[in-house]
Amino acid sequence: MIFAKVIGTIVSTQKDEKLKGKKLLLCKEVDHEGKPLKSYHVAVDAVQAGEGNFVLLSYGSSARMTETTKDAPIDAVVIAIIDDVQILHTVKS
Amino acid sequence: MKLGIITGVVWASKKVKELDGCRMFILQPVAINGSKTDSPLVAADPKNIASAGDRVVYVTSTDAAQAFDSGFAPVNASIVALVDEIA
Repeated sequence: MIFAKVIGTIVSTQKDEKLKGKKLLLCKEVDHEGKPLKSYHVAVDAVQAGEGNFVLLSYGSSARMTETTKDAPIDAVVIAIIDDVQILHTVKS
Repeated sequence: MKLGIITGVVWASKKVKELDGCRMFILQPVAINGSKTDSPLVAADPKNIASAGDRVVYVTSTDAAQAFDSGFAPVNASIVALVDEIA
């Protein structure tokens, strides 16, 4: 899983049958502090996330393992809306 | 499977129901000697075995879902064992 920030929604009328009724979110990958990284994903929304939300995103074949995304042609899903991230331990070197 | 050290906790009250009751941790992959290898990742703890500072064994990719009783969860990494010692 990776941290991401929802920066927009994809509006699409013509799409695969299995994507109908699913919200597509444009998500920018961020680090644990919310600082933006280079990569982005178009992800299916499984938790009613909205623009500006700090979320947890799952990618690859694992992304199909939710009730919302089962058997659909997708490779990224928003699985949680993050309330807080706490760093409690550091690894030297 | 690889070794990692738990460095942080991710709190999320709203998540998909497949992950209900499952805690999420930030995990630093480490080498056998305990030094950092790759960049940190987020891992699920379906068996509730880890806490901050622990050295654990984790599994990635599609196989991560197998750590859940249901075998069905949208996770890229799961913690599957707590390391007591390497003998």
